[in-house]
Amino acid sequence: MKKIIQNPLALSGLIIISSILFIAIFAPWLSPYDPNFIDIHSILLPPSLSHLMGTDGLGRDVFSRMLYGSRISLLVGFVAVGIATLIGTFLGAIAGFYRGYIDSIIMRFVDIMLSIPTFFLILAVIAFLTPSIWNIMIVIGLTSWMGVTRLVRAEFLSLRNREYVLASEAMGASDFRLISKHLLPNSLTPIIVSSVLGIASAVLTESGLSFLGLGVQAPQSSWGNILTDGKEYIQFAWWLSLFPGLAILITVLGYNLLGEGLRDLLDPKNKNQKK
Amino acid sequence: MFNYLIKRLLWMIPMLIGISLISFFIMHLAPGDITASESAFNPKASEESRQKLRALYNLDKPLMTQYSLWLKRIVKLDFGNSFASHQRPVLWETKDAKGNISKGMIQDALPITLMINLIGLLIIFALSIFLGVVSAVNQNRWPDRLITIIVFIGFAVPGFWLALLLMYWTGVTHSWLPISGLHSAGFEKMDHFSQYVDLFKHLILPVSISCLGGLASISLYVRNGMLDVLQQDFITTARAKGLPENKVIYSHALRNTLLPLITIIGLSIPGLIGGSVIGESIFAISGMGKLFFDAVLMRDFPVVMGILTMGSVLTLFGNLIADIGYAWADPRIRRGISN
Repeated sequence: MKKIIQNPLALSGLIIISSILFIAIFAPWLSPYDPNFIDIHSILLPPSLSHLMGTDGLGRDVFSRMLYGSRISLLVGFVAVGIATLIGTFLGAIAGFYRGYIDSIIMRFVDIMLSIPTFFLILAVIAFLTPSIWNIMIVIGLTSWMGVTRLVRAEFLSLRNREYVLASEAMGASDFRLISKHLLPNSLTPIIVSSVLGIASAVLTESGLSFLGLGVQAPQSSWGNILTDGKEYIQFAWWLSLFPGLAILITVLGYNLLGEGLRDLLDPKNKNQKK
Repeated sequence: MFNYLIKRLLWMIPMLIGISLISFFIMHLAPGDITASESAFNPKASEESRQKLRALYNLDKPLMTQYSLWLKRIVKLDFGNSFASHQRPVLWETKDAKGNISKGMIQDALPITLMINLIGLLIIFALSIFLGVVSAVNQNRWPDRLITIIVFIGFAVPGFWLALLLMYWTGVTHSWLPISGLHSAGFEKMDHFSQYVDLFKHLILPVSISCLGGLASISLYVRNGMLDVLQQDFITTARAKGLPENKVIYSHALRNTLLPLITIIGLSIPGLIGGSVIGESIFAISGMGKLFFDAVLMRDFPVVMGILTMGSVLTLFGNLIADIGYAWADPRIRRGISN
C-alpha cells in the first residue's frame, strides 16, 4: 500500500477509481433529483446551478443520471473482467501445467477466438439475447479471456520446472496443490495487471454497446445510453454528449493508470532498471 | 522459406474449420426459428413458404448435417442470399436467369472498410513512429512526458464520443466538413478531380476516428521498443565509432524497433474491423461494420454468418501476410526457417 502511494501513476489511478466507487455507492444521496423523473417543463435545459449538467430530452436531470450511470460502469467492469479472468486463468493454468496435446488444443482455441473480430462476436451474441446489463457483462466476459490465458500459460511454463516446484512434486504434492500453492501465487502479478487494464476496455465496450442501443436499456441510465441521446440532440444540446464521454474517459484513464502503475510496482525487472 | 510458407498455410485449415464452427453454432444457439425472422420482414409469408425456406436452408435436418451442408457451400464461397426483401447475395455478385446482375453485399461493403482502415494504418504508422522516436530520444524530458500524457488519454477516449464532438464542431457549428456518408449529393455529375476532393473531405473524420486507438498503442510500442534497443551493445558500438547520433537513431535503432511492428499490424486487424461498427454507424458509411450491425438488428442470419466468417478469414490472412513479412524482413528468422 505504501508503495502504491509513492508511485504517481498508481496513486492517481487509485484516487480516480476510489472517487468513482464513492460516487457509485452514494449516488442516491449525492444526486439532487430522481434520475428517472420526467419533467416536461424543463426539457433540454443547458447546464445551470439547478441542473449542473443540464437536462435531457425528457427533462431528466443529467447530473443525477450520470451519478447512477457510474454504478453500471463499475459493475460491468468488475463482473465482466471477473468472468474473463476466471476462465482465462483456469484454461491458461491447465495448458501451462499439463502441456502436450491439452496445451495445443487450448491454445489453438485461443488462436481461433482471437481471429474472430471481438466486437462482431459480441454483437452477434447480444442480438439474440434480450439486451440487459447481465447479458452484456457475461458476453464481454466470455469474449475477452484469451489474453489472460496466454499470460497465465506463459507464466506456468516458465515456473513449471523451477526447483521448488519439482521438489514439491517429488514430495508427492498433488497437481491441485502444485497449481494452487506454488504456481498460481507466483503468477499473480501479470493476472492482476491485465485484469485492471481489462476493466478499462470492458468499460469502453459496454459504453459502445449502450451507445448502439444494444446495452443498458432505458430508463436505467448508463453513460453510453446518455450519449445515444446526445447523438440525437447533438445540434441543440452539447451537454448531453460532453459529460458522459468525459466520465468514460476519466474512468478508463483511471484503470489504465492504476494498471500501468501496478505493472511498474510489481515487476521486478523494472525495479532493477531503476537501480 | 518455402517450407515455412507451406506449414503456415496448412495450419490455416484447422483454424478455418474452427472459425466456421463458431460462426455457425453461435447463429444456431439462438432460440427460436430462423424463418420466424424472415416472415417478420414479410408478413405475407405463409406457413407453406416458411416450410419451403426451412427446406432451402436445410433447417429441417439435424444440426451437424446443416453444418456440413453449410460448410460445403462456403468452401465454394457461396454464402447464400440475404433474408432482406432485396435478397441480394451475401458475398459476391450473381447473375440470374434473365442476366440481371445483383451485386454482393460484402463485395460492396468490404472495399470501403478496407480503404478507411488502410489509410488509417498508414497515418498511424507515420505519426506513431514519429511520436515514439521523439518520446524515446527525449526520455523523461518534457516532450516525452507530453507525448505519454497524450497517449494515455488516447487510450481512454471513447472513439464514438470523440466522433460526436468532432461532428458537432466541424459539421454543425462550422460546416467545415460533411458529417455523413462518403459522397455529397450530385457526386456522379462532378468531374474526376472534384470527386476525389469530395471523397477526401468525407474521409477526414472517419479516418481520424479509426486511427485513434492504434495511434496510442503503437506510439507507446515504438517508444518502449526504442528504449530497449538504445540500451544494446551495438548502439554503444555505433556511437563509439563516431557515427552521428541521427544515423544511430534512424538507421540502427529505429530499424530494429520497427521489425516487430509488422506482427502488431497483423494482430490489430480484428480490432480494426470490429471497431468499424461504431464509426461507420455514426458517420452513416455503408462498410462492413454498418452492414453487420444492420444485419444483426434484422436477424439477417446469412449476412451475419457470412461477415463473421469473412472477417475472421481476413484476419487470418492478415496474420499470414504479417508473418511472411516478418520472416522476409528479419534475416535471422529467414535463415532459421530454411535450416
